[in-house]
Amino acid sequence: MLDFLGKLATPEFFFSIIRISVPIIFATLAAIVVEKAGFANIGLEGLMMFSALSGSLVSYYAGSWFWGLLAALATGVLMSLAMGFFAFRLKTDIILVGIAINMMGSGGTLFLCKVITNLTEGKAMASTTGLITRALCIPNIDIPLIEKIPFLGGIISGHNLLTYLAFLFCILTSIMLYKTPLGLNIRATGENPNAASSVGVSVLKIKYTAIAFSGLMSGFGGAFMSMAYAQGWSQDMVSGRGFIALAAQAMGGGECLGGTLSALVFGFAQALGIKFSAIGLDSNLASPIPYAVTIIGLVIFAVARNNRMKKRHTLAAVSEAKAKK
Amino acid sequence: MTRKRQLRFTVIRSLVAILIALLVATVLIFISAEGRTFMDKLQATGEALKQMLLGPIFRFSKNAGLSFEAKRLLDIFAAMIPIIFTGLSVCVMFSANQFNLGAEGGIMLGAFVAAMVAIYLPLPAGIHPLVAVLLCGTAVSVVMLIPALLKAKLNVSEMVCSLMLNYIIMYVIKFLMNSFLADKSKGQIQSHRFLESANIPAMVNDPLFIGAKLTWGFPLALIAVLLCGLFMYRSRWGYSIRMIGINQEFARYSGMNVGKTIVLSQLIGGFLAGAGGGIEMLGRYETFSWNALPGYGWTGITIAILAGNNPYMVPLAAFFMAYLSKGCDLMATYARVPAQLINIIQGVIFLFFAADRFLSKYRQKLVVKSAEEELARAGALKED
Repeated sequence: MLDFLGKLATPEFFFSIIRISVPIIFATLAAIVVEKAGFANIGLEGLMMFSALSGSLVSYYAGSWFWGLLAALATGVLMSLAMGFFAFRLKTDIILVGIAINMMGSGGTLFLCKVITNLTEGKAMASTTGLITRALCIPNIDIPLIEKIPFLGGIISGHNLLTYLAFLFCILTSIMLYKTPLGLNIRATGENPNAASSVGVSVLKIKYTAIAFSGLMSGFGGAFMSMAYAQGWSQDMVSGRGFIALAAQAMGGGECLGGTLSALVFGFAQALGIKFSAIGLDSNLASPIPYAVTIIGLVIFAVARNNRMKKRHTLAAVSEAKAKK
Repeated sequence: MTRKRQLRFTVIRSLVAILIALLVATVLIFISAEGRTFMDKLQATGEALKQMLLGPIFRFSKNAGLSFEAKRLLDIFAAMIPIIFTGLSVCVMFSANQFNLGAEGGIMLGAFVAAMVAIYLPLPAGIHPLVAVLLCGTAVSVVMLIPALLKAKLNVSEMVCSLMLNYIIMYVIKFLMNSFLADKSKGQIQSHRFLESANIPAMVNDPLFIGAKLTWGFPLALIAVLLCGLFMYRSRWGYSIRMIGINQEFARYSGMNVGKTIVLSQLIGGFLAGAGGGIEMLGRYETFSWNALPGYGWTGITIAILAGNNPYMVPLAAFFMAYLSKGCDLMATYARVPAQLINIIQGVIFLFFAADRFLSKYRQKLVVKSAEEELARAGALKED
């Protein structure tokens, strides 16, 4: 046991936690902003799948990761706007729109991949893993000076460009939500759309902005999956990260910092699972760990929230009783 | 709006949605079709569409043209069995506004439990499949207690919870298969053979239709539809499930036990999904060899949406999806268009069916027309 813990307390392990958490962080930020605007986007999973595919394909055909990243972002934004059209204009239940996008994201991406690349190796499997080389991936960055720090340097430095962007976006999104007019409008729309529209906020525009933002974040997440986490796209590679992000959003209390920390918890669970299978445990026993942790996390969060609410109610009742006396 | 007009609107709306989806499909087929010139591609597209739309029940031959193929129709009926069950399961849960997406994991767990009962619990022939199916339905119900109770007691999102459960179920089953239950004498990971007594017998197994086999699972599925419909529209519990779906607060204030009903809807949904998995496994397979989620749960969601959460419409929607799926498979074989096109068609149809405002202007026109007629009639009565 001690031996195993010793294996965990290495810079590599902490490094891998951060690396694994990145797509979840992006998706969590997406979930947070739409939640603040008053709805839920459960299509993050599908959006990430489409972004991951388009990112890796464009990166291959254009010969540069930069265009790939741009394509992934554009895919995320355009598809999320289409979701918005169905949800806000045609009044489809937003949850059903999300389910539809996820459905298409699973098989539809494989269809597109087969059609575009003409790869049908063995009929069943087709992926872009053969197309993407190291040079077509988004580069890693060594931070000068910090990389020299003994233990910490190994954890913080040498990450992917998008990893640093993820943490930057965590701060920026928080600032956007709480320090800018746009953020105020988003929160107002979520709290009370009628009140918001009565003071001249275009609720529809704000909702579209929020869902486009979630698409942008999913674009980053997808690009990270196919051009940094793995080299190339393969079917169902996002494997529930979009859903885990929904849980992370709830667990983090709907705030950027809390959400990011929750995402890191899931990253930890997943990294632990990988370590478990490295020491010989059946990977099928280790793989469900993050999903189980998600449920447990949701329960803990819900219990804490309910207790808080109860306390608040009791306090209010007590003070009311005192006032009456 | 009169009943007749309402029906006409629903039919037209459905047809337009399907047409749009087929249009999207045609464009995609055209892009993926082989051929150098435009005309070549057009011809290939036509060929592929023919396979997709007519192939499921007709056979093409050079001289005789189209000929009806009973075997293929039976195949479609057989393919409808599991998705009728998942469709019903989703219907019940969505009717209560519970977005539980656990039918996918539920059907896999049901299939697994059925396989275990079929292998390790020797029982006499008639009773064996019955016990197996009841057990797997119960097992999935018990698992669905997790999202249901968490939702009712703690207000935890049943959607996220059930999604996570799908993954957990899949991995745990894979683990159990790998470590304990696999038949080590086989190359791939599969269980031991089911006992003979556990098989659901075939209803049609005519040597004339070589290979065509339809088990008694099909009438069972139709009975489930009937029972589910009666439950939803003719029982107190079904009524409260539907009321909670329409307006939860109203249901609460009028004295319904919301928490209990939320749990009930998901228990029933779980039971249906599990039973469907069991029937599919015992009717079609001899060993358990699934190593991934089968996808019937997602198809079930589409079916529930197509059916408008009405159990009686589920067989029709299931037939449509099974037909389309078969068509896409044939197209993949004969026209080399990837079969996953089905997912895109499914998604598009799904979106338009679920869209409240889709064709709302047309609906508005019909409503206005009805109202005008009514006014005219009232006016005529007054003059008399």
